[in-house]
Amino acid sequence: MTRWDAIIVGGGHNGLVCAAYLARAGRKVLVLERRHVLGGAAVSEELYPGFTFSVCSYVVSLLRPWIIRDLDLTRFGLQIIPLDCSFSPLPDGRSLARWSDAEATRREIAAFSQRDAERYPEFGKTMAQMARFVKPLIDSPAPDPWSLKPRNLADLWRTAGRMREMNDEQRRILTKMMTMSAADFLDEWFESDVLKAPMSVSGIIGTYLGVRSPGTAYVLLHHYMGEIDGAFRSWGFSKGGTGQVSEAIAAAARHYGADVRTETPIEKILVRDGRASGVVLENGDVFDARIVVSGVDPRLTFLGLVGSEHLPDEFVTQIERYKLRGSSGKVNLAVDRLPEFACRPGDGPHMRGDVAIAPSVAYLERAYDEAKYGAFSKRPYLNVVIPSVVDPSVAPPGKHVISCFVQYAPYNLAGGADRWPEQREAFGDTVVDTLAEYIPGLKESILFRQVLTPWDLEQDFGLTEGNIFHGELSLEQLAFQRPAPGWAHYRTPVDGLWMCGSGTHPGGGIMGASGALAARTLLGTKAV
Amino acid sequence: MSYDALVIGGGHNGLTTAALLGQAGRRVAVLEARPVLGGLAARDEFAPGFTTPGLLQDTTNLRGAVVEQLDLVKHGMRFADAEPNVFAPQRDGRGLVLSRNDVHMQAELDPVSQADTAAWLDWRASLGRLRPFVQRVLNEPPPDTAPGSIRGKWELARTGLALRRLGRRDMTELLRVGPMCVADWVGEWFETPLLKSLLAGPAVRGGWVGPWSPGTAANLLLHECSSGRSVASGPAGLVDALAATARAAGCELRTDARVSKVLVSAGWARGVELEDGETLHADVVAASCDPRTLLGLMPRGALALHLEEQLGAWRMRGTTAKLDLAWRGELRFRCRPDEVFERAHVGETLDDLERAYDPVKYGELPQRPHLEIHVPSIRAPYLATEGHQVVSILVHWVPLDVLGGWTDERRAELERAVLATLGEYVDDVAEHVVASRLLTPRDIERTYGLTGGQVQHGEHALDQLLHMRPNPSCSRYATPLAGLYLCGAGSHPGGGISCGPGQLAARAILEV
Amino acid sequence: MPLPTPFHDRTSARCASMKWKEWAGYYAVCSYELCHEPEYFAVRHAAGLIDVTPLYKLDVSGPDATAFLDWVTARHVGRLKLGQVGYGCWCDASGRVLDDGTITRRDDASYRVTSADPSYGWLVHQARRFDVRIEDVSDRLAAVALQGPAARSVLGDACDDDVSGLRFFRAMRTRIAGVDVDVTRTGYTGDLGYEVWAPNDGALVVWDALVEAGRPHGMTLLGLDALDVCRIEAGFVLLGVDYFSARRCVLPSQTSTPFELGLGWSVHLDRDPFVGSEALAQEQQAGSEWALVGLHTDWDELERLYDSFKLPPHLASSASRVAVPVYADTRRGVQVGQATSSTWSPVLKQHISLASVRTPHAAVGTELGLEVTVEFERHRIRATVVDTPFFDPERKRATPRSAAASGQPAAPATEPMA
Repeated sequence: MTRWDAIIVGGGHNGLVCAAYLARAGRKVLVLERRHVLGGAAVSEELYPGFTFSVCSYVVSLLRPWIIRDLDLTRFGLQIIPLDCSFSPLPDGRSLARWSDAEATRREIAAFSQRDAERYPEFGKTMAQMARFVKPLIDSPAPDPWSLKPRNLADLWRTAGRMREMNDEQRRILTKMMTMSAADFLDEWFESDVLKAPMSVSGIIGTYLGVRSPGTAYVLLHHYMGEIDGAFRSWGFSKGGTGQVSEAIAAAARHYGADVRTETPIEKILVRDGRASGVVLENGDVFDARIVVSGVDPRLTFLGLVGSEHLPDEFVTQIERYKLRGSSGKVNLAVDRLPEFACRPGDGPHMRGDVAIAPSVAYLERAYDEAKYGAFSKRPYLNVVIPSVVDPSVAPPGKHVISCFVQYAPYNLAGGADRWPEQREAFGDTVVDTLAEYIPGLKESILFRQVLTPWDLEQDFGLTEGNIFHGELSLEQLAFQRPAPGWAHYRTPVDGLWMCGSGTHPGGGIMGASGALAARTLLGTKAV
Repeated sequence: MSYDALVIGGGHNGLTTAALLGQAGRRVAVLEARPVLGGLAARDEFAPGFTTPGLLQDTTNLRGAVVEQLDLVKHGMRFADAEPNVFAPQRDGRGLVLSRNDVHMQAELDPVSQADTAAWLDWRASLGRLRPFVQRVLNEPPPDTAPGSIRGKWELARTGLALRRLGRRDMTELLRVGPMCVADWVGEWFETPLLKSLLAGPAVRGGWVGPWSPGTAANLLLHECSSGRSVASGPAGLVDALAATARAAGCELRTDARVSKVLVSAGWARGVELEDGETLHADVVAASCDPRTLLGLMPRGALALHLEEQLGAWRMRGTTAKLDLAWRGELRFRCRPDEVFERAHVGETLDDLERAYDPVKYGELPQRPHLEIHVPSIRAPYLATEGHQVVSILVHWVPLDVLGGWTDERRAELERAVLATLGEYVDDVAEHVVASRLLTPRDIERTYGLTGGQVQHGEHALDQLLHMRPNPSCSRYATPLAGLYLCGAGSHPGGGISCGPGQLAARAILEV
Repeated sequence: MPLPTPFHDRTSARCASMKWKEWAGYYAVCSYELCHEPEYFAVRHAAGLIDVTPLYKLDVSGPDATAFLDWVTARHVGRLKLGQVGYGCWCDASGRVLDDGTITRRDDASYRVTSADPSYGWLVHQARRFDVRIEDVSDRLAAVALQGPAARSVLGDACDDDVSGLRFFRAMRTRIAGVDVDVTRTGYTGDLGYEVWAPNDGALVVWDALVEAGRPHGMTLLGLDALDVCRIEAGFVLLGVDYFSARRCVLPSQTSTPFELGLGWSVHLDRDPFVGSEALAQEQQAGSEWALVGLHTDWDELERLYDSFKLPPHLASSASRVAVPVYADTRRGVQVGQATSSTWSPVLKQHISLASVRTPHAAVGTELGLEVTVEFERHRIRATVVDTPFFDPERKRATPRSAAASGQPAAPATEPMA
């Protein structure tokens, strides 16, 4: 029987990135994916004939450009179409669109507040400058504030060096961004609710927090790391759906020699004498490996696949305390015509970007308030994209796919998470009703609807508690504390078992950084 | 008139600064706008024969160092003999008394949850390990973040070393807990809802946060690591002793002396002008008013523009109202009719607190507000008339400006909500209430000259603590304007009756 | 997409070249014909008419209006007389220029501010402690500049009132073809000229009346290309070309102070503190690091350089906004600055540049090295520091004596423009 250098548990995009890097370095790598498609939460599936859905993750946010270059992903089919616009319709017939055209954006905002219109570019300038300081943090392993190893001290010194380079004002802003709520932070800049609301949501996506919860301001920065076109917002559609990102990475991994298999669910990670030695599949097959790298979330990895008997008590406590608490759902629609917004009719360029149903800060906060006590929001925040407008390959001519990211849909419903199946359709109706307030003919145009609750995300995609980021991106679960203090460097208490998923630093959307940094660490420490 | 130092505001922090400067031989005048000294700690007769010993109630965070340095005991201050217990009543159940005494605590918790008894001891032990470090942070000026400051680096290095000395586990725990929400933190330790709510209370009161808001665990940590005994006759007792000390040290304490302007010339604060036109000159002006009130006293251009802007954005959104009741007979809780409690906490679960917090975000009144009840007349019977008690209630969270404005109806609505909430735990509330006086946050703003009625002089949020309090350029009490110092709760270590800001400010002034 | 100005119907009908650019969100004509030179010569010899609607226009009024403008601008606005226009700049707290523009005192407590960059938000932000009303009238007010030696006659023919007595940097109210307008004797050409401010709905009527009145005087429609040549000759700095608003800069080194832009004359420090006054006072004491200077390119050297390539000398006829390095000398000296605007001056028959150079190299007469690229090769040729304006005709500020005596109160034109 072959002994692999490394087995990657889970064929999500981070697992695939890790596999591709290891394979490129000449290691014998096996990727095992439970489902029939690769990509984990970054998948495209034809759920309805002729319509391709980005089932879960729907925009490519911060896919690291160096990964695209390293793995030559463009050659393997990666194409990203930047979102050109952020559109926020309002119930009163007004609307706000923010474009890559600064002057047009200024005019749009000035309709609500001239002051804000003038401050908006200043805000962008400040954020871009701040992003310079933060970017290295997401492109390297987290510094370890405890370790005295020269390497880690050097990391710490480098991080501190960046801080020293900042002036007083920048340090002050960074401190505020790390600790303030998105709404409070934006209050210091802007007066118009119509502008603040859609801006503030970037801080709450995927978290069980509201826009007024401290610590949510930081993610505002991510919008300014402008990677895809270097100028405006680094978010885009992957042509053919987000699954194409995974397919491109998988193609690269295979090209470099990795063996990538689907429909191979894992039963257990084998631990012998305190060392991970391989995996057992549900069908009983056993694969041996020098190391096992888990791309699934920490809770599932340690308490599900490894078992607490192989772990130190303190670590088990840490993983039990690790907060996942999914808070979002997804509704995918196939429609027979292009949706039309009542407040801005026609198929204008505002359809090419993302649409935020976030009319006011209070609206968002109320949505959160409902969710806090274990119910989905009656008036949820929606992030809607219609990728078929810019990528005709995903729907038949004249027809469209609509992807609605929905918040809040708390995993822990009052009465238990297993009440989700009975509430699924009511949840779907709420989303469609909410959206139909802005798109009058929506309901009549729906051909097909898929509703994904956090419960479904857990059942179908293996995301514990339906958390799309493998664990909340809250301050105490970031950097050197992700997923647990002392275990931020992809290492685990079990020898030969490593992590490479979004539950490790830096985490987050389709960035690939966790997988790539894990691979770099593995190769760097000669673990494989 | 000419002085060495003028202190704007005669609250407990202003008096502390003045007394310490006076002790060091400086000629000091304290200028208090109101007719009485004490600010939020001043006694206040709210109905004939009924007096509350301060708008704030909790004196357990008073710094021991201040008491010693000023020899307050010699000037009449006494610590209460009794434990500063807090009782949390329950609709169904016996309620719970939170005590600093582990034996008492065990007796309280055992019948409810033995797991929590064990957890309690562990939690206290873990706090005990963190306590020296946290106290060190609270008792020292915040780190000097000015670039190139050698002293700052030295201090930072020493603090870093102290942090490391906690050991890896406690250090990472401290870093982990800081940004957490208090609900999660207490949830990790305990299972009894009432205990969790009781512990979370001090972490969220006064701010624009609820128990599920991140960053609130730090408040609990700070509170738990600094609380000790309470002052016998309440805040007013402390103020009396501070005033006596200050007078003994030669300070001039002037009431009805409202400062209208800080006088600035050639880049120096030279004194103040009072509302009646009188001008007073001094080398040092120390302001114990809140930072935004101070901003209004500064002539245009005296502070750098960016500092003016940043202080203008200093968050002071008051959420605290006060309802003082003249109470016939004794305040007895239905669930423990045989005992009387000086302090009580109404809010049975974390969600009760969170639901009490939610409406404030929309300018609405809470249906079931979170109440912090104090019955000072139990230990100081002279505060009430014979056969009566003073029941002072801090009501959380009440918006500064309720939607539609504070009309008589809205005030009555709030008062009804408070009494109805109290009525869930106390029989026949209406028959006990002889007189009442409600202060909304707007009233508090107006009465005490406190921006937004925010009783901490600036919300305790992570970005408004330590060197960010109230701004990196003046977090060490000296401001960029020569001769102008901050000595109020808007500076580190912040609000509450600790006298810490006043003490550290005096130290900074004397160092120059 | 840019918006049309109120004059767009007229300008687009005449813009045969189809050369447009975006200016502050509006369409603006670069040149009406393919070559801008006739338009330039019209300004210097007859008159030119240019749509300047994209300028930002703000009305500031209220009891504290004067105090407020004194607080935000480096210029002592309180000294402006009724009907006087002042040119000045406003700075941030560290004395770095945010924008420059004109301030017209229209009433005791009512001013109109024009600027190149949107300044409404900043002014409102500064107005916290003042009892003022700030209104952005940019969208409501059309503006047209009438420039050139014949401008006075053209305007006189078009207006109901006698404008001949309107002195340099003064304003008056009058009517053109039944439309109430403000006229200021200002402009961006360094020549005799006026700017006319009219409400949007009367804009076309005013335009037609001016075009009609201009016909006998040889007036031409003027585009931005010709204007650019004129303003360099006049030594006027342009935001976004010769300097950048501190608001948009990322590094302090990208910002400028009024002194560094040669606008020190408009900074009045002997008064109450204002935004940036402390830093400016310090700079006045300590001296500036940079200076804005005029450069004359040495033609003979240029010709020799081209000659060495066996080429006749060649320079673009339009102005260049590409910054070019300036060196301490023509050999190996270090870079001491950059020429930010350059043009061939048709009236002076001279290649001229506006340049920012380090102060030790800024004295008039200093010889510096200017980078010139010939056949993709970079060379340095001699350029000499000279005073600006390069071209400063007397007619710019002169007012006929008789008219001055009859029309306006007699006072010397004190505006020390550039």
